[in-house]
Amino acid sequence: MLPNEPQDPTTELVTPQAFTPREVKSSPSTERSAFLKRRYLDAPLVVDLEYISLLTESHRRTDGMEVLERRAEDHAFALERLTPVIHAGDRIVANKTRFIRGAVPYLNYAAGPFLREIRKQEQDAQQKNIDQGQGGGIARAREEAGEKGYQVLSGKFLISDQDMECFKGLCEYWEDKCMMEVGDRLWKKEFPQARFIEDGWTINLYTAPHDPCPEGRLILDFETALSKGYRAIIEEISQKIAAFRPGGLKDGAKLHFWRGARRVLEGALRLAENYAAEAKRLAASEHDPARQKELLDIAETCRRVPALPPRTFREAVQSYWFTYILGHLEGAHLGFSPGRLDQILHPYFVRDEGVSWDEAVGWFEELFVKMTQVEYIASLSWQGLGHGNLYQNCILGGLDEHGSGADNETSLAILQAQINMQMTQPTLSVWYDDALSRPFLMKAAECVKTGVGYPAFFNLKTFVAHELAASGLGVETIRKHAAMGGCTEPVLGGMSYGVVQAGFVNHGKLMDLVMNDGADPVTGVRLFSPRPLETYEDVERSYLEKMRPAVRHWQQYWNYVMAAHRQTVPLVFCSAFVKDCIGRGRCMDDGGAVHNGTPTTLSSGLVNVANSLAVIKRLVFEEKACTLQELKAALDANWEGHEALRHKALSVPKWGNDDEFVDAIFLRLFEEYCGWVKGQENYLGKPYDPSMLAISTPVPFGKACAASAEGRRAGEPLADGVTSPYPGTDTQGPTAVVRSSLKVDHTKIRGGLLNLKFHPSSLRGDRGSSNLLALIKTYFDGPGFHVQFNVVDSAMLKDAQAHPEHYRDLVVRVAGFSAYWVEMSKALQDQVIWRTEHGL
Amino acid sequence: MAEGMIFDIQHYAVHDGPGIRTLVFFKGCPLRCLWCCNPESQNFGPELRRSAARCRACYACKDHCTSGAIREGQTGPLMDREACRVCKTWPCVEACPQGALAVMGRAMTAEDVAARVAADAAFYENSGGGVTFSGGEPFAQPEFLEDLLLRCKRLGIRSAVETCGHVPAQTLLELEPLIGLFLFDVKAVAPNLHERCTGASNELILQNLRALAERDASKIIVRVPLVPGYTDTEENLSAIASLTAALGIAQAELMPYHELGRDKYEGLGRPYPMAPQGPHPLSARIEAALRIFRERGVACEIGGE
Repeated sequence: MLPNEPQDPTTELVTPQAFTPREVKSSPSTERSAFLKRRYLDAPLVVDLEYISLLTESHRRTDGMEVLERRAEDHAFALERLTPVIHAGDRIVANKTRFIRGAVPYLNYAAGPFLREIRKQEQDAQQKNIDQGQGGGIARAREEAGEKGYQVLSGKFLISDQDMECFKGLCEYWEDKCMMEVGDRLWKKEFPQARFIEDGWTINLYTAPHDPCPEGRLILDFETALSKGYRAIIEEISQKIAAFRPGGLKDGAKLHFWRGARRVLEGALRLAENYAAEAKRLAASEHDPARQKELLDIAETCRRVPALPPRTFREAVQSYWFTYILGHLEGAHLGFSPGRLDQILHPYFVRDEGVSWDEAVGWFEELFVKMTQVEYIASLSWQGLGHGNLYQNCILGGLDEHGSGADNETSLAILQAQINMQMTQPTLSVWYDDALSRPFLMKAAECVKTGVGYPAFFNLKTFVAHELAASGLGVETIRKHAAMGGCTEPVLGGMSYGVVQAGFVNHGKLMDLVMNDGADPVTGVRLFSPRPLETYEDVERSYLEKMRPAVRHWQQYWNYVMAAHRQTVPLVFCSAFVKDCIGRGRCMDDGGAVHNGTPTTLSSGLVNVANSLAVIKRLVFEEKACTLQELKAALDANWEGHEALRHKALSVPKWGNDDEFVDAIFLRLFEEYCGWVKGQENYLGKPYDPSMLAISTPVPFGKACAASAEGRRAGEPLADGVTSPYPGTDTQGPTAVVRSSLKVDHTKIRGGLLNLKFHPSSLRGDRGSSNLLALIKTYFDGPGFHVQFNVVDSAMLKDAQAHPEHYRDLVVRVAGFSAYWVEMSKALQDQVIWRTEHGL
Repeated sequence: MAEGMIFDIQHYAVHDGPGIRTLVFFKGCPLRCLWCCNPESQNFGPELRRSAARCRACYACKDHCTSGAIREGQTGPLMDREACRVCKTWPCVEACPQGALAVMGRAMTAEDVAARVAADAAFYENSGGGVTFSGGEPFAQPEFLEDLLLRCKRLGIRSAVETCGHVPAQTLLELEPLIGLFLFDVKAVAPNLHERCTGASNELILQNLRALAERDASKIIVRVPLVPGYTDTEENLSAIASLTAALGIAQAELMPYHELGRDKYEGLGRPYPMAPQGPHPLSARIEAALRIFRERGVACEIGGE
């Protein structure tokens, strides 16, 4: 029996352990949804080797084939042979693996880290900085590993003893062929700054190599996939091939791309047929007539789509899902996103009179369970950074190409489905514009109030301004295609190259280097030669002189890796669904996408740098409260015995309080960073785009950093996102945070975020929702770019009591005055929890 | 220019009037309500507050005190509040390495306060909010309040005032045209109950409420603290509700008692005036109280939270 074979749906339902919603509570709308959710929560994480085994089997045979055709052939070969698994209760079929929570190890991207793990030679160098969670399916995998002849891989995935042998063989096969190895052979030998990059990893100036899961921030052209159907697309490609006579320099590559695209689409059609046959087979032996009917419906649906355009809403959902999951399967994706689901599926909902709004909610509930079931396995360090999150981001609302509000009944159904299910995937977002309807915005506010943390709100106006400059496309095109690629990186859905980037630069570490004459105080590794710091300007200049090469080397290193990407793992299936790859006869790696300016350079910790510089400027050079040497001595001592100086440092104004002194420093750094990033071309020949999201980097980056001048102790996290204040330093309330944040020109960056925490009492009722929307509108009139809300509930407060170190910034706004949670006595905390639980 | 004593300015306040508001807390109050959750609002002058949670009893404060107001106690510094009051420089605050000391209350010009309020004008605009002057008692600093009200009017910012009502009638009525909303506290109708709870008679308060209601009852929301054993009796609530209805006031808010101000009393070196209540008014009690008002045609909600 497979370790996560579906269980009997009649067994009693268990409520998931999560932060309990406060004002808005909901539950799955159907028994099926409840069952699917419960089954997911109970399932262990499993490694499934089927896809990678098939891919490898093909790869062994295709040696010598042109690289695009080979990549297409290998993916198609696997698609045609994957076991079609239809789990009990499923109406939407096809998964990346045979398991409820299965992960595909993409050894073709990076086999080395797994091999190292298996051989137990060296643990990932950054593992000490990783905290990736212990509960839920992870605990389950560990439990079961002890019992049933399974082992645990990458700390949380179950793999059978048999499979482990096979896995070793696969790793060895890919060891010298995978993208990472091919790339390493290139840049480690030829890039003059290779040593800087490797030293950067040693001192945690950079995130670990991104090779194991580089793909993502990609949205396919689902509209075309659905409205034409694969057969028509294949026909179109065939006509292109028939009409084409190669003549020019790169013309041969066009033929190879088209032939590859056609091959891989044919493979996808075979997979759909296999599902149709499996559904029919199961129906024949099914005793429950209702389920039998469902299975026959699945069979009919899979015979129809994705080959032909959907006739019904259910066919549209299945067709969408095939394209989505097979694209997901092709690459090692993080942040492969569903796109504007409310725009893609709405026409089919409207046309299908046989499906009610409630039923559509049920379909979305099921779809979201399927999205949550997608897992990934990569090196430990990246798993830790992403906390296992796949960053599938479904953005709703926005405008149509003519500038009218695009929200509709399907948008409401999607919000309702996630209010009901509260699955971790996909995360929901709203493209905000004043033209959106009030009912939609109020429904979005209702979803925020579940405490689930989404939807996040993104300002369309800001992105349009950014993209007008970055893409050179017209405003109609940008409005129509604007979508969210990953956590907070917007792209033009179905027509942009994804955002395949190197990872993050740790600005906190740059500040460590400034304070220590160019050497890392933690490891002693030296990256820069010392320079005198006699004035404040010297200090700021020293930071910039370190930031610039750190960023430039990182960008250039990644361009070497992407050269290897083109030679090893170009995406052919995905390229077939990105405009205008087929038209141009070029895959995305060759610039086939309409928009190639999306790859970003990411940074984390800029707020900490600004806060630290502000302290140095004020205390050392203005007030002369201490010398730089005395400050340095305090940092070396991790502030021990320097409490008075630390108190002074903490009293210097911090970013997020609308204070001109520190905000001016932050703005200068922000402008420098954005300008500098754009000075380097990406691997597609366009400027790199600056981005300042942070995902979980503030924690491992902070862990690796020494104490900093702002008052932070060694090892404490950095600030998250571009404009979020450092926890505990925003003393003037959310409007001051917003005012500080609005000083930044948000149109300069592709991605950045602002997190705000609220006690449920300040959001209660329609009045609370209206105030929340007014806050968003004010920020976006600014114009800001992104804001998301954390609604504090009593479960979170209890967690804050147990782990105050995680909640230094938690302000509890109840009953006529506010207080910092960590400064309240236990008795008062208990009272606040009591009142929160009772809705007071 | 008028200068006043302010002890806090809070942005994104959403419980004291409509929309997103800024709350400006005036220092100094003529009443001494037993249940007051903002004891730092009561005295008119600045005073020192010590956070017991932060204090490590290092006595840096004592070393820097120029008034001889601090001595060593069993669990930390003991402050002689009278000696402390003469100090205007508070060197102890700066000296404390833990940041455990803070001065409650500082003199601010109306210009500075108005600038802080105006910073959030866009939020008021989008939410129908504005500024709420609270306290303490705003009418106890009448020139300062008037200056602020005029400045806000010129900036197009709507003003609300929360008042205990124990203020000269003339001041109240003079400033009334500048004020869009009164959050008017009514604690008790029976004079002896009121005196027992607040230390003052309610004669002036009820007189002011009537006068204000005659001007424009639609500007008033009556606020009633629900304090177990004091104000939450059916008799008292019925009397307040009947009075509210009789004056043509359409809205009331009930403020359930809580002990969240307890730590602050300790920080100010004062005893907490209320006996421990245990976990607070039950939902059923609150529902009953709401009904008393609603039965009399007064729209009534839980407020202030």
